[in-house]
Amino acid sequence: MGLANYAALTRDPIFHKVVWNSAVFTLGSVGVKVVLGMLMALALQQALVARSLVRALLLVPWVIPTVITALTWHWMFNALWGVVNVTLQRVGLQREPIAWLGQPATAMAAVITANIWRGFPFFGVSLLAGMQAIPRDLYEAAAVDGASPGQRFWHITLPGLRLVLIVTTLISLIFTLNDFNIVYVLTRGGPGTATHVLATYTYEVGFQALRWGKAVAVSMYLMPVIAVMIVIVTRYLTREE
Amino acid sequence: MAGRDALAYSVIGVLLLVVGVPFYWMVNTSLKTSAQLQSLAPYYYPRPATLGNYAALLGTTNFPTWMRNSALVAVGTTLTTVLVASLAGYSLTRIRYPGRRLLATTVLIVYLVPPTLLFIPLYTILRTFDLVNSLWALLVAYPTFTVPFCTWLLMGFFRSIPRDLEEAAMVDGATRLGAFRRVILPLTTPGILAAALFAFTLAWNEFLYALVFVHDTELKTIPVGLNDLMFGDIFLWGELMAASVLTTGPVIGLYTYLQRYMVEGLTAGAVKG
Repeated sequence: MGLANYAALTRDPIFHKVVWNSAVFTLGSVGVKVVLGMLMALALQQALVARSLVRALLLVPWVIPTVITALTWHWMFNALWGVVNVTLQRVGLQREPIAWLGQPATAMAAVITANIWRGFPFFGVSLLAGMQAIPRDLYEAAAVDGASPGQRFWHITLPGLRLVLIVTTLISLIFTLNDFNIVYVLTRGGPGTATHVLATYTYEVGFQALRWGKAVAVSMYLMPVIAVMIVIVTRYLTREE
Repeated sequence: MAGRDALAYSVIGVLLLVVGVPFYWMVNTSLKTSAQLQSLAPYYYPRPATLGNYAALLGTTNFPTWMRNSALVAVGTTLTTVLVASLAGYSLTRIRYPGRRLLATTVLIVYLVPPTLLFIPLYTILRTFDLVNSLWALLVAYPTFTVPFCTWLLMGFFRSIPRDLEEAAMVDGATRLGAFRRVILPLTTPGILAAALFAFTLAWNEFLYALVFVHDTELKTIPVGLNDLMFGDIFLWGELMAASVLTTGPVIGLYTYLQRYMVEGLTAGAVKG
């Protein structure tokens, strides 16, 4: 009773693995999402033709059910008939089919890929809105002073996006760290425990092994991390009042 | 400038391709027979295309029931959410009372607490009220995340409306609720639409609560029901992709009409300030 569940977890190698996987999954996904989202926003900011149509099209992955996303990627990563294997073999990048979801490293890469696909448009749309809120005359003044595009990005765009970037990244970190759907549908945490993250492990311990105390303990270990991020987001979002 | 434009359009082209390929593959697969799925002859398009998967899905599986359940839960959640969130958002931005700021912050915090932390406690609460394994479980559980999110979103919209308008109406004898209904609501229609769209989408897409709170096949929503089409290592990919097309259809349809409001709502919260 009491804290026994918490103490037991500190000595549980599976739990350690799950924490590590969650960190890899979250940081890997969010890192790429920031970069792709920034590219998307910069490209949309530059390209004027059909901007809102393109923005709407690129946001579609973000509105469809995550389970569908995961299912579709599951099929595309299929070892025998998946489009990834067949195409890579046809263009000669790969000789033999790869069991993407059956090997630890590629399975982790697969779940991260699906998560990035779903999540980067959110960054793109938020950052684009942030860019549009930066006053035009700052760029004009910089152009008059002969600043290069790189300098303008570094000294005007990036500082102007600071708030949006921090808030969007933190919100994405919170929800990626707690992602259940993609991992559950694509790999069920496997092979072995190679892609088990805190959300899927909590579910497995609680609802399959029916060890409620331990399951709650697993999710409670997330609490401090989540709490810190929530406090920061809340600070930023309620500051102007 | 021309060089940068070319670069921008190539980036957009690549991103559209990355986003588009899985959708194409979903549709392509849904139109193939299982024999065609295991053939490399015409691989990248269905020939001949068949609607057999759709017929099998609608005729031989529980998919129609799951779709009805999903629709019931999503519409029910949307109605509750719009009603509660619009009143709450209005109250939190317009009416002065002690603790209002704290409440507003709490709404935001509650939205940010992820379902992973909440599904076990929620399960025990629902069990106490004997709601587990019924659609009521979802109709009760979904507003716990849609209401805070939509309230927060609507607060931004309410703030943008000048106070004078409703004050004028109230000077003319309207009650506060009357002014809210006849003056404020018509002006916040875009916000309400965005909130409704978000509530519907979040409920339609939800998976974890539906997986945990409901067990009977006839009560499942689509995302959970689809797991019944996977038997161990045997996946009915044709049917699964047909189901995916039918499940994304309503969301994309709604989104096509309302995306402008959705993007506005999505960026209103994070961007200002």
